[in-house]
Amino acid sequence: MSSISSTNVRPQMPLRQKDFDQIWGDLQEGIEQVYKRQHMEKKRYMDLYTHVYNYCTSVHHQSASSTSSGRAANNNGGRTANYSGGKKQTTGHVQGGAQLVGLELYKRLKEFLRIYLINLLQNGAELMGEDVLAFYTKQWEEYQFSSRVLNGVCAYLNRHWVKRECEEGRKGIYEIYQLALVTWRDNLFQRLNKQVTNAVLKLIERERNGETINTRLVSGVINCYVALGLNEDETSARGQNLVVYKDTFEAVFLEDTERFYTRESTDFLRNNPVTEYMIKAEQRLQEEQRRVQVYLHETTMERLAKTCDRVLIEKHLEIFHAEFQKLLDGEKNSDLGRMYALVARIPDGLCELRRLLEHHIHAQGLQAIDKCGECAHTDPKVYVSTILEVHKKYNALVLVAFNNDSGFVAALDKACGRFINSNAVTKAANSSSKSPELLAKYCDLLLKKSSKNPEEAELEDTLNQVMVVFKYIEDKDVFQKFYSKMLAKRLVQHMSASDDAEASMISKLKQACGFEYTSKLQRMFQDIGVSKDLNENFRKHMSNSSEQPLHIDFSIQVLSSGSWPFQQSSCFQLPTELERSVHRFTTFYSSQHSGRKLNWLYNMSKGELVTNCFKNRYTLQASTFQMAVLLQYNDNTSWTVSQLEQHTGIKGDFLVQVLQILLKAKLLVCADDESELTESSVVDLYVGYKNKKLRVNINIPLKTELKVEQEATHKHIEEDRKMLIQAAIVRIMKTRKTLKHQHLVVEVLNQLSSRFKPRVPVIKKCIDILIEKEYLERTEGEKDTYSYLA
Amino acid sequence: MPNIKLQSSDSEIFTVDVEIAKCSVTIKTMLEDLGMEDDEEEVVPLPNVNSAILKKVIQWATYHKDDPPLPEDDENKEKRTDDISSWDADFLKVDQGTLFELILAANYLDIKGLLDVTCKTVANMIKGKTPEEIRKTFNIKNDFTAAEEDQVRKENEWCEEK
Repeated sequence: MSSISSTNVRPQMPLRQKDFDQIWGDLQEGIEQVYKRQHMEKKRYMDLYTHVYNYCTSVHHQSASSTSSGRAANNNGGRTANYSGGKKQTTGHVQGGAQLVGLELYKRLKEFLRIYLINLLQNGAELMGEDVLAFYTKQWEEYQFSSRVLNGVCAYLNRHWVKRECEEGRKGIYEIYQLALVTWRDNLFQRLNKQVTNAVLKLIERERNGETINTRLVSGVINCYVALGLNEDETSARGQNLVVYKDTFEAVFLEDTERFYTRESTDFLRNNPVTEYMIKAEQRLQEEQRRVQVYLHETTMERLAKTCDRVLIEKHLEIFHAEFQKLLDGEKNSDLGRMYALVARIPDGLCELRRLLEHHIHAQGLQAIDKCGECAHTDPKVYVSTILEVHKKYNALVLVAFNNDSGFVAALDKACGRFINSNAVTKAANSSSKSPELLAKYCDLLLKKSSKNPEEAELEDTLNQVMVVFKYIEDKDVFQKFYSKMLAKRLVQHMSASDDAEASMISKLKQACGFEYTSKLQRMFQDIGVSKDLNENFRKHMSNSSEQPLHIDFSIQVLSSGSWPFQQSSCFQLPTELERSVHRFTTFYSSQHSGRKLNWLYNMSKGELVTNCFKNRYTLQASTFQMAVLLQYNDNTSWTVSQLEQHTGIKGDFLVQVLQILLKAKLLVCADDESELTESSVVDLYVGYKNKKLRVNINIPLKTELKVEQEATHKHIEEDRKMLIQAAIVRIMKTRKTLKHQHLVVEVLNQLSSRFKPRVPVIKKCIDILIEKEYLERTEGEKDTYSYLA
Repeated sequence: MPNIKLQSSDSEIFTVDVEIAKCSVTIKTMLEDLGMEDDEEEVVPLPNVNSAILKKVIQWATYHKDDPPLPEDDENKEKRTDDISSWDADFLKVDQGTLFELILAANYLDIKGLLDVTCKTVANMIKGKTPEEIRKTFNIKNDFTAAEEDQVRKENEWCEEK
């Protein structure tokens, strides 16, 4: 800047040593004033700043490199055009960069600080305990403050001389504030840090023992240690690196913490129950967290927490595990929650708890079902609610105490899956498909018209509960079979309590198992709707027809044969009274849909008979078979069994069952005992029939029918499974072309797990079948490998 | 808004809004170091700035008081000299002496914006001129010998425009 001198703006004279001494004298006086924390006026501050400025902008003969002042001035003027990073350095007698003045001042400032601190140390060297802390923190705060002012006064030195020195790579030159910190570190901290750190640790220990301490003493020291972590390569205060804090304090502090809690936790556990200990540990962890927040550096949080976790929890994990079972047995949910929260802090600590929980829920589930005894085998409601109770209880536990931790949810699911698919009831039935069967029956109870039908909202809720159990069922195909059977009956017999509820349940199943799972159920629903329209059309057709009217109310449901789980009835001869209706409808239907064949499910049909033979006029609701038998008595009041068989076409043993019900209803009488009917037994109409009601329902399902049906259902399931397994094998092989036996089995198990759990021997059998059918072949020369034959 | 009293080297006192005065990092730091609670009557002497220049500086700071803070210096970013705002250009239409005194004041008071724009103005005065013209512009006596001048020229060949 002294190039300006040649423009005569301001004469700036070279500074002589004498002038500098004078400047320094006044400056030193001012600085002392600063470090004594005396009041300073703005004028004085500006004077000091101006001293530094004038000194730094003077031309200093000793440090100027060579030649004339004018030359140096030219170089000075180049401050803004600093191309030191450029292609070529200027060399030779003209030195790169300006000659900024400052070294002398810097040296004197450094020496001033050193002497100041050495004097200070003498006052504190002998102090111990809280005294040394009080001394250290107070001095530090004051020193820090004063050094900031000094830094402001020397701002011009920082901005030019220090900056240039650092840019040129000189080591050991700092901005004045940094210089003050370094000087403190080298002179005060080095001498005092051991006793200071010890005093801090003592103070913290006293606080852990319940005393109230002056936390400002601790935080003061910590702040100082943090500030002293200077990054030597950076001149600005930004370059902190925490080295001093970590080395001098944190490491010893953590050791101390570990020692303290090792002793405390062992002592405490020896004299107190584990539940008490957990409360204590929780408290301690919170305290330590607060400690970091109040007076330590935030980076210590993680390491301190780890240390505490290790000493307070991990070391005692075995004791915790032993206690966990006791707490489960005692249903101490809040203690369980506390234990969870503690153990969750340890990596992988929860595995054992999960295992114990799974084991416990499984045992509880089995026990609950055992307790119900016989009842559970026959009463679907008892069975399902027992399962749900166990699930609800532990679901709540997992949710509240275990924070819905995914691992614990999995343990719950696993345990439920295990006890639902294998328990006293399934063992008694010797089949895991007992569970889906009972569940489906429970659904039937809920959805069938009855006096006990729950309210809509409640029903929806119960159905959701059913889905909870459904989720755990392995043999979902069994459930599907039973469910569709019972749904079919409900629909055909108009026994459904609510279409909405039925639809809602189907959509739930669809959501759980996919479209395919419920497609038949949905078809059944559609058929019923279509049939309604069909009946309407038929009635219109009849009234428009020129033919003779039917004289009989007649309605029909047309069911698509693939979707409904019904078998065609055994042989039967339709009573002549009904024949015309059937005929007329068949004609009508084939005119509407040519090429469709109607099979009549007489065993599913029913009708009403009006009697004229008794004292009262009764209306009997009867099955078609019953009707056929009773109608015979229009011609004669007495028939033998074989005659009836001949006229109705109903097979012998079946007919006997039909007759038994009619005998029981006291419509017919027989001299022989009703359980010992023979072909020659004579069955008469009982003319004296009496009933309080005028409408009588005699349509009771036949026993054999029920039994056969159930057996058939189970048999069907086996057959269907084989088809599903084969389909799966073909699908897999088609994509894989060749596959090892073991892998194939695994993939089949995987694919079908959402439906049922295939048994491995059955899979083997299916593979054999497919080899026979030439879908697959064994790969030559390779054991256990199959290839796909296109 | 509180005010502050600034006193020039020739003892003229200027009353300035504190926020405007804080354009000067030197004044800002001083206020922070000494605490702000001091009474407004206390005068801040600026012994290196005369009243004419201080007046200009305050004028500049007042105009620029709402400027966004300057971005950090980026060593890699090339500095430009053609981005002087028209207001600043008008403001700096002064004689060379005043211009250089403004540079000194900006440096002394640590007002980076003003220092930048004044130095850029000087740079523009140098740009595109031969050494002889530069010497003339700034009234510099050539104290190089012919040999020295050749040497310097050779060394700085690389930055000559081609």
